[in-house]
Amino acid sequence: MVKDNPRVRTKSFWVPTEVAGERVFWMSLEHSLNRPSKKGPSLAEIVWSTGDVEDAFLALPPIVPARIRRDAQRLLRPWPDGRYTDAYWRSGGILNVFTPPWGEQEDEVWAAMLAEWQATAFADENARQEALRALEQRWNHTPHPFFAGLTPAQVMVGGGPQEADLADEFLYHLTQMHDGKPFASVGESLIQTLMLLRGWSCQPRADGRTPLGLIIAERDDLLARRERALRGEAE
Amino acid sequence: MAKRKRKKSRPSSPYQRNVRQADEALDRQGIEIQEDNWQALVLEWYAPKEPERSMMARYIAKHEHELGVDWAREVLRMEVYFQVGDYEQIIEHHKRAFSRYPRCALVEMWVAEQVFRQAGDFWCARSMYHYVIEHLPEHPKPYYEMGFMGYLLGDFTGALDWFNQAAERATEAHGEIAARVFYNRGITRYLLEGDRKAVIADMQEALRYKRDYAQAKQVLRDMRDRREMR
Repeated sequence: MVKDNPRVRTKSFWVPTEVAGERVFWMSLEHSLNRPSKKGPSLAEIVWSTGDVEDAFLALPPIVPARIRRDAQRLLRPWPDGRYTDAYWRSGGILNVFTPPWGEQEDEVWAAMLAEWQATAFADENARQEALRALEQRWNHTPHPFFAGLTPAQVMVGGGPQEADLADEFLYHLTQMHDGKPFASVGESLIQTLMLLRGWSCQPRADGRTPLGLIIAERDDLLARRERALRGEAE
Repeated sequence: MAKRKRKKSRPSSPYQRNVRQADEALDRQGIEIQEDNWQALVLEWYAPKEPERSMMARYIAKHEHELGVDWAREVLRMEVYFQVGDYEQIIEHHKRAFSRYPRCALVEMWVAEQVFRQAGDFWCARSMYHYVIEHLPEHPKPYYEMGFMGYLLGDFTGALDWFNQAAERATEAHGEIAARVFYNRGITRYLLEGDRKAVIADMQEALRYKRDYAQAKQVLRDMRDRREMR
């Protein structure tokens, strides 16, 4: 008799665009990396504390395909000292997966910060570079209007188990509402999706908290755990 | 007898076919664009009402020597595409036909709506709206569209700021847009502040501009019944 057959859990959701579909995949991977294992820490926490991705991957079942391992490795690489520009391509979680992709070229916040820095007179080159480094940190930790109010750091850390459940809840709701519905254009389906998302994200639950508030609180918690892991403090 | 090779004619693209159809539609209506009427035709067709009419007239006066009959034909074709609601052709036509003329904020304002709401290209539309705001600062529509985009991006504070700017510019002349400005401002205020009184005031203002605004009536009923807004 075979014990413990491998189980594969599959889900099928309607999404408005192909790009959104790809980002839902990235989002799920981010959730998986932040999900605590049976033994305790999540894969992300292991990497934060050891700095060793290969070591963390030993915890993965052998069935995980090479491509997923590569993508996970990309998500787990160390964060830069400067600006977290990887935030541009990360999923940003359920609050951001449907937002059409954007990058530095579209980033009005960074452009405004940079313009202010360029217009400032500094005592010397050292002071100028120091101000730029401070500016990059300010960008990393300032809620960004194009990330649905998350900071780039909150985007970088990814979502946790609670957000994973909320994302499933929303995607299920979205599928029920829109699957099979005829849309006149891709823009219309995208806008209808985002309107549904924004309304859902602000609807208070029984305890008075909104999905938006829960997601931000969990990402802040993950950031705090990351800080502790980087400092080598045990949980 | 030697076989004569027949020259294959290149099949026309959907874009070119649509251009021909637009020209046929204009012909059927007896439109003849000439040196002495191109300005009047553009105003009559593309911007028949104020305040757009004055905006277009200002643009034509400023760039008169760079425009002319050919430009007017492109504008009238564009209007045909708007009338049949062919958003792909509107966007394509704007790219192909208008790049050789000075940018016209009024044309961009209406094309940007298609880029945003039909093609779903938020970032291209956003950059067009920034241009429109710079050149038509008095029109509420680009502020309203930026507010709506902000709302969709989840930037409620930013959205409210844009809607406030749109509300400052909205008048009876803007009709439907003015109604939408107040409706959307009310919804955003509710999400941000939960201020029912402010929402009721905005819905009433929306209904002043559009009496049969079903969604505004529904929100107003919900607010008065103190039920949760969907």
